[in-house]
Order: sequence, then structure tokens, then C-alpha cells
Amino acid sequence: MLVEPELITRAREGDDGAFNQVVQAYRKRILGTIARLIGRPEDVEDVGQEVFLRLYYSLDQLRSPEVFEPWLYRLTVNSAYDYLRRHRRRPEARMADLSEQQVIMADAAAGAKLDHEEQRRGRIRDMVGALMSAVSEQDRILLTLKEIEGLSLKELEKVYRVNENALKVRLFRARQRVLKAFEASAGKTAGAGV
Amino acid sequence: MGDSMSQDREVPADGLARLFGAYREACPDPEPGGDFMPQLWQRIEDRRAFSYSLKRLAKGVITAAAAAALAMALFLAPQHRASPSYLELLAAGQSHDNIADTEIVQSSYENPR
Repeated sequence: MLVEPELITRAREGDDGAFNQVVQAYRKRILGTIARLIGRPEDVEDVGQEVFLRLYYSLDQLRSPEVFEPWLYRLTVNSAYDYLRRHRRRPEARMADLSEQQVIMADAAAGAKLDHEEQRRGRIRDMVGALMSAVSEQDRILLTLKEIEGLSLKELEKVYRVNENALKVRLFRARQRVLKAFEASAGKTAGAGV
Repeated sequence: MGDSMSQDREVPADGLARLFGAYREACPDPEPGGDFMPQLWQRIEDRRAFSYSLKRLAKGVITAAAAAALAMALFLAPQHRASPSYLELLAAGQSHDNIADTEIVQSSYENPR
């Protein structure tokens, strides 16, 4: 835990100063998770504020400070899921949707401004973004928490409130769907190159 | 990146795990903006003000409904008393019938054939 349990207890009892400290301790981590969950940097702070707003108005429902972190993750997942559902129908051009020629031109234009390392990172972000946009919001969130955020199955059990076996099944299926999208995008890129 | 992509295609599952690892490194936790906390508190205050005005509105509606119910009760109660009930009407009608019967009997005594 990033803060002492008694600070959470005080925040739960309505101490705004304690709540402020809790937010300051967790905001960077939560913003990072949100950034990787939603993949749109311009909306990260907005979703982050929504998470802490929900936290403020539901903190009195927290049973004990020990379950605070999974509970905060649960709020984060719910807010990210709501955001992804709201923006589902907004089409966005991603690298995987572009032809190879367009990718080369985009890279050349970007190369003038960015250094090599940043270009490499940008391509990884685009590729993962394209892969994740090919699966459902539920799969995207579950895989991000497990594979990217590195949450254990025990932690995911507390976040999702389901047993380990059900989680394993969900994870297996989500991985299969992403692998299928991964292979399809690799085939598409190879086909476009011919 | 081109090299890593070709490796990814060879072993998709391992490549996917590596890609996710690289993505974690490519997306570090962003630094929150300077107005993150003020904006958050503004949103908290907005929500608080909204729920407060909603509560006040609900209380007002309940009070108005209670006052209207009381006014209707006061208005309808005298009318209800003024109009006789079915039993009162029946009783009144019966007493009228008895008087009529008495008259018939009396008249037959007064004018015997």
C-alpha cells in the first residue's frame, strides 16, 4: 500500500485533507493504468478525475482499508470500461489500418521530429493499440491488467470478484482472441507488402 | 522494430508477451498536470451542489404534494358532509312513505262508503 491504513480510515470518515493525500499518493499510478487501458493520452486526466470522484462518493462503503487497492482498481476498471464503451463508435485511424506506403510516409514525417527511440516506442504503442481495438473492451481491460500492469491472479480475483478458475478461463479466451488478431494483422501487413 | 516484428510472427504467443512488455516500457506513468487536483475538487463540489439542489427540489415537491393533499381534504370534507349518504336518503324516503300511508288510512276513515 502506498499510504497508511489509518489515512484511508480518516478519508472514509470524511476528512478531506486525508482524501487529498490519498489521491496524491495514488494518482500517478492510476493515471498510468488508465493511459494503458484507454490508449488516448488526451483523455487520461479526465478519466482519472472520474475515478477519484467515484472514490470520494463511495469511500464510506469500503469495508476495511486493507481492501482499498483492489477496490480502487475496480473503480478504475469501471471508469475505463465506461469510457471505452462511450467511445466505441468513434473510428480512429491506427497504424494497422494504414497501407505500408502510408506507414512509411508517416514514419518519414515523424522521423524528422522524433528520435529513433521515441519512434520505436510510438510504433509499439500503435501496434498494441491496434491489437487491443480488435477485441472487446472486457478482453482489453483484463489483458492490460494481467499482462501489462502485472496484477497477479489473486489481485485480479479481488478486483473482479470471481474465482481463480473463472479468471483463468476468461484470460485464456482473451489471449486466444488477441493472438488471432495479432496473426491476422501480421498476415495483413505481409499481404499488403506483396 | 522491424526485427522484433519478424520475431513476433515466428512465435506469436512469446512475441505477444514481449510486445506487452515493450508496451509497458513505452507507456510510463504520466505526470499529472498542475490543475489535476483543483479540477478534481471542482468536480466534487459540482456534484455536491447538484445533489444538494436535487435534495432541496425533492423536499419542495414532497412539501407541495402534502400541502395540496391537505388543501383538497379540507375542500372536500364539508361537501362530503353536506350531501346526505345513501342510508340517510333511504331513511328520509321511508319516513315520507309512512306519512303518506297514514294519510291514506286517515282519508279512508274520514270518507267511509
